[in-house]
Order: sequence, then structure tokens, then C-alpha cells
Amino acid sequence: MNRRGLIMSALLLLVSGAALGAHHSFAAEFDANQPVTLRGTVVRVEWINPHTWIHLDVKKPDGSTERWMIEGGTPNTLLRRGLTKTSLPEGTELVVDGYKAKNGSNRANGRDLTLTDGRKMFMGSSGTGAPRDGKDASEK
Amino acid sequence: MRDTNFVLIVAVVSVLLPTAVVIAQNGSPGAPPAKPYTTPKTPWGEPDLQGTFSNRTITPFERPANVNGREYFTAEEVAAMEKAAAGRGGDEGRNRGTRGDVERAYNDFWWDRGTKVTTLRTSLVVDPPDGRVPALTEEARKRAADEGKRPAFRGAGANGRGTDSWLDRSTFERCITRGLPGAMSPTAYNNNYRITQSPGYVAIQIEMLGGTRVIPTDGRQHVSSSIRQWLGHSTGRWDGDTLVIETTHFTDKILYRGAAENLQLVERIKRVGPDELEYRVTINDPTTFTRPWTLAIPYVNTGEDLFEYACHEGNYGMEGILSGAREEERKAAETKK
Repeated sequence: MNRRGLIMSALLLLVSGAALGAHHSFAAEFDANQPVTLRGTVVRVEWINPHTWIHLDVKKPDGSTERWMIEGGTPNTLLRRGLTKTSLPEGTELVVDGYKAKNGSNRANGRDLTLTDGRKMFMGSSGTGAPRDGKDASEK
Repeated sequence: MRDTNFVLIVAVVSVLLPTAVVIAQNGSPGAPPAKPYTTPKTPWGEPDLQGTFSNRTITPFERPANVNGREYFTAEEVAAMEKAAAGRGGDEGRNRGTRGDVERAYNDFWWDRGTKVTTLRTSLVVDPPDGRVPALTEEARKRAADEGKRPAFRGAGANGRGTDSWLDRSTFERCITRGLPGAMSPTAYNNNYRITQSPGYVAIQIEMLGGTRVIPTDGRQHVSSSIRQWLGHSTGRWDGDTLVIETTHFTDKILYRGAAENLQLVERIKRVGPDELEYRVTINDPTTFTRPWTLAIPYVNTGEDLFEYACHEGNYGMEGILSGAREEERKAAETKK
């Protein structure tokens, strides 16, 4: 098997073996027809199971502010990666790519959360996929 | 041409087979240890299984078609799979604006699916020998087709069902339980367990959704079969250094791959090294599966603690699912007018 074939085969094996699926059905809660991109500042973080919720103030074009809630993953995983409730302090600017809630409220899932310096939350420290844990020189 | 193919197949097989055997002999994860491992004992003389373990793995649950029936991965395949897993970001194969993309929820930073194969086997299903879950009985197939007619009968982990009531949602979504052996099998995150022992008891604390199984090993019998529980009724005993747990008396309100109140489990847990347990479970329900089948899942010591998982407290998801369905119904009614 050539190298490309091996990589493709490895990816296939991963996909076939992947235990996908969050704690609950995201497709039942959020609407595939309503993708949203939100730019806002963190108001508070609910550090709760089964899912974290990030409360975000989003400035609208007319200058007014709208409060949104963004659903993330379990805090237990983040704790093991060295992140805590205070890792996203109030005022942190975030760009959220996700899908709006089917119930019409200002809620969305955080498919991708990007910090304003372009780092995907919280991926990309030295390109390894490791979180920012203070060990990387670029974080000092 | 035919001869050329035959030579090629022989060459490939003779390269692949010894690789698997060599890996298995070298004591890699999941392979039998070279020397028999002596299980330490608790101060009161029972085998000591205590510790904090994770069963996350990138090993497939069932044997994928593209390994052509092989029982073991090659070292080359393992390296490629682990490299791909370490590099994945969660965007692979996603199409924006699709239901599948919404269901994937978020990028890989939030997941904890593991980046290693913890066994060189090509599937967690070790019996039947083809590494696949056996076929359902005709009765079970008929039951599955009629399942929607049975009120309040929803399966653990089976998402996307009815939305009339919280009762229509899975017990996983309802923060109750993933059932058995679901709660002992790896999922997308929180794959952590803590085992503690006292004389005559083994307790298995499960991080995902929380909860602790308390297994008596004092020789007691099962309670009356009129008592039915989410996790059934378990009794334990020691077979040498292996903990054997027999579980029966499941409720009819939770499904495991189509099996419910007739499910019977035999779990066997033993230490295979200082940092690893082997967890095996044989799943039997003649009314559902055409034969008993067995999973073997490595539990690897994490050296970390467990965190609490007070699921009900933050279950906004349930509210979002049900209110979302009401909003869709309201919109549909408006369109009709």
C-alpha cells in the first residue's frame, strides 16, 4: 500500500471506529438551516455538566447589544487539559461559528470558537492541537 | 495474471501476519503480557483491581470491512491511525449546513475520544470471531419495527426520536444512565472510571452521567426477578484473580442494541499489568441476538482523579430539544393556515 493509500485507510478506520455523538442530540436542539457567526465578548461562563454554556454579548449593526448563550462540551474534558472556569475571563472577544437554536431563542452551539487573534478555541498551540497550558514559549 | 495476484496475496499475508504476531509478543497495549502478571492483593486478601482508569480508544467497536477479516492491525496501520487521530481537528468530513454537521456539535478540542489504539485487535467485539455484532433474531427485528408504538420505551444513546415528552428521549439525554454494558463502553468523552474495594464489595464509579455500581462478592443470590432496575441486579464472585459479575433483572424501559428485560451479562475484569485492566463482557439475550457475543475493552490507568458530573443541573439541552419541537410545530401550523 502506498503512503497516500495508507493514510486514507487510516482515516477510514478512524471514521468507522469513531464513537461520535454528544451527550444529547445537537441536531434536535439546533437548526442546520440557521448557521450563525457571532462576534462578541464573554459575559460569563456556566461551568456545568453535561455542557458548558458561554454567555456572550453580541453587538448588532445598529449599535445595540444582544445576549447569546453558546453551548460547548463537558467541562471535565477541559479541566483535564488545564483549563478552568476563569480561562475565558469576562470581556474576552470571541467569534462563534455554530447553529441557532430551533426554539428561536438566542442560543447556538459553539461549533468553532475562535479567539480574535485567530486561534481556534483552544486548538493550535504550536500547531499540535494541544491547549494553551503555559508550557509553549509562544504563550509567554 | 492469476498467478501474479496469488503471489501478491501470499506476499502481503506473509508480511502482515508475522507483524501482528511480533507486536502481540512484545507486550504492546492490549496484547498478552510476555510473563504472567501477578495481581496484587488487598490487605484482606482479595485481588486488588483498584485505581482510576479510562477506556477511551480509537479501536473500532466492530471490525471494519477494509481490514479484510484480519484480527490484528499492522504496526504501520496503528502508526497511521494514531497520527491521524492526533492531528484531527474535528472538521474532517463535515459539510456546513447539514444535519450531520450540527450533530457533530463542536471541534475536536471538546471531545476526548482518545488518540491511541489500546488493543491491536481490529475490533472491540472479540466473539463472534468475525468481530461483528451478531444478527438480530426475527423477533427482535419485528420488535424494532414496532418500537415506535410502545410508549415510554426509548433506548440509551439512541438520539433523535420523539419529541412529545422527555419520556421520548433516551435515558442518556435524560441524564439517567447509558445502561449496561453501554456505561462500561467508551464514548466521545468522560470515559473515566474509579474502582474501589472493601471486604466483600467492589464499587465501580462511572464519570459519564455519574453513578456508582456496587457489586457484592459475598456469595449472595440475585433478588426476586420482580425487581427490575436500570442497571439490572449484579452479583459478583472471584474466579482466581478475575472479578466475575453476573447481571440480570433489567427493566423494559431501556434498550441495548434492541435488548431490554431479557438481557443477561457476564462481565470479567482482571488486571493484566500494573496499569491496565482487561474488561470483558458477554452479552446474551436469545430473544434479541442470534448468539451470545463478547466485547474486550482495555481499561488503562490514568493516574488522575474523577470529576463530578451533576448532569441534571445543567441539562438545558432537554429544554432546548422539546421547546424547539414546539416552535417547529407552531411554524408548521402557521404555514398550513
